[in-house]
Amino acid sequence: MGILEKITRNVDNRYWDPGVGAFPVKNRYTAGVAGQRFFEKIKEDGNIIGTRCEACEITYVPARLYCERCFKRLEEKDWVDVGTEGIIHSFTVVHKTLEGETKEKPTLLAAIQFADGMLIHRMGECKEEEVYIGMKVTAHFKAKPKRKGGINDIDYFKPL
Amino acid sequence: MRKVAIVGAGLTKFVRRALETPKELSFEATKTALDSCGLSLDDIDCVAHGSAPDAFDGIHQKGEYLADGCGGWNKPTMRVYVGGATGVHAVVHGWHHVASGMFDICLVVCEEKMSNAMPHAQGFFLTIFDAITERALHPNLLWIFALEMNRYMERYGYTKEDMALAAVNNKRNGLLHPSSQFKDEITVEDVLNSETMAYPVSRLDVSPVSDGAAAVVLAAEPVARRLTDKPVWIEGVGWTLDTAYWATRDLYYPRYLDKAARMAYEMAGIREPDKQINIAEPYDPFDYKALHHMEGLQLSPRGKTVELLRDGHFARDGNLPMCPSGGLLGVGNPIAAAGVMKICELFWQLRGEAGERQVPGDPRLGVAQAWGDLMQVSSVVVTGI
Repeated sequence: MGILEKITRNVDNRYWDPGVGAFPVKNRYTAGVAGQRFFEKIKEDGNIIGTRCEACEITYVPARLYCERCFKRLEEKDWVDVGTEGIIHSFTVVHKTLEGETKEKPTLLAAIQFADGMLIHRMGECKEEEVYIGMKVTAHFKAKPKRKGGINDIDYFKPL
Repeated sequence: MRKVAIVGAGLTKFVRRALETPKELSFEATKTALDSCGLSLDDIDCVAHGSAPDAFDGIHQKGEYLADGCGGWNKPTMRVYVGGATGVHAVVHGWHHVASGMFDICLVVCEEKMSNAMPHAQGFFLTIFDAITERALHPNLLWIFALEMNRYMERYGYTKEDMALAAVNNKRNGLLHPSSQFKDEITVEDVLNSETMAYPVSRLDVSPVSDGAAAVVLAAEPVARRLTDKPVWIEGVGWTLDTAYWATRDLYYPRYLDKAARMAYEMAGIREPDKQINIAEPYDPFDYKALHHMEGLQLSPRGKTVELLRDGHFARDGNLPMCPSGGLLGVGNPIAAAGVMKICELFWQLRGEAGERQVPGDPRLGVAQAWGDLMQVSSVVVTGI
């Protein structure tokens, strides 16, 4: 009887199986003009770079092709090295999986400030009770042969 | 309502696979449009952007994702989405923002990056059909266009060769477009000999898969007159949804467009569109659709369109040039961006700035149209000088 039927667990709902249940396509993304260079730097040199708009006095991390505020195209001279050390802007400790199960080992996630931007990443070599907002951290990169040019080339951030 | 003009336009190249992210593509088109009319982001009051299914860029809620590339930082932004009709609809959407008196200058930006989808963007179209009654048969758009094309040809006794003429016309026009992803002319034989995708649709009856972005700047009358001595006015807008069931209407005639076109013409004060309109940019993802839509736009009598096409009536130097840009068949089809590309073409043609593609005879009135959702939505914009 549709919504009048009292069903409290969605697995108890009857359903029609139309024979299709998933998107039959995957996405293969490009990192973009700025992103390509940003990730190549991480992969090749184990370093973090951004782009700076002098007019707006903002340094974007991850690097961007343009300043969103004034629409200036950020060019060769606007690329800046921001180093591998950042400051924790905020953090969380994740206890549940997407399925709602309790994680054996909670994940420590932080928003880490670099110049005027942030990277979201895992924390490592750091206990839950040690982390604090304002903590100085540094990137721990994977060994160079294992890097693929992605955000996971940084294994985690750790206290400085 | 206030009069609204297009005062600037910008387009990226349409390509099979761009390195640029969807944001970066949007930035390139938006920046070009701003530069074309000497405006900076500070001059922009609001952003009306459009993009087709989130799945294509592979990012859900891509309206927000795209916003900063469209110049939307710290501005009122609003995304529209009506499938393939999005491009022209986004201009209608931007027109509302300015005509209402709410904003003086509005950026309209559309972007699509189809190449992220692997193996092919068609796979995502499976998921727009009814999950219970249709998806189990694994339909894609080629299927349903094939059904429509077959019905259209049968109704008027048209042949596949007749339909191919439209592909040849549009692709030839597109060779002159700097944003086109093609470089070779094709013949009717090429179309007929290309592989069958879903009968009667062959590969060259279809527009390509593309990445790209397009933007226009809209301004209220007094502002537009200050910005340029050649404003291109939005004279009429129209949009309609036909039945929400794609299969419960006669496929030979685009009724979804009939009403949208009449709405736009009435607003523009056009009584005889086939005589008054100088340039038509009908939506042409397939060759037969260009002809089908010329009929829906009331620019060609039903069943006489192939005859007029053969007589050169729709050629660049004919009485009513059809898709002088090259259209989706000739320039490329980054879904939402392709609709704005058609508006850009009217802007350049009416200003006499279309270069090699310029239609002779100082055209004064043009119409652009797009079509989408599950085949039942159309949007129409009439522009004039």
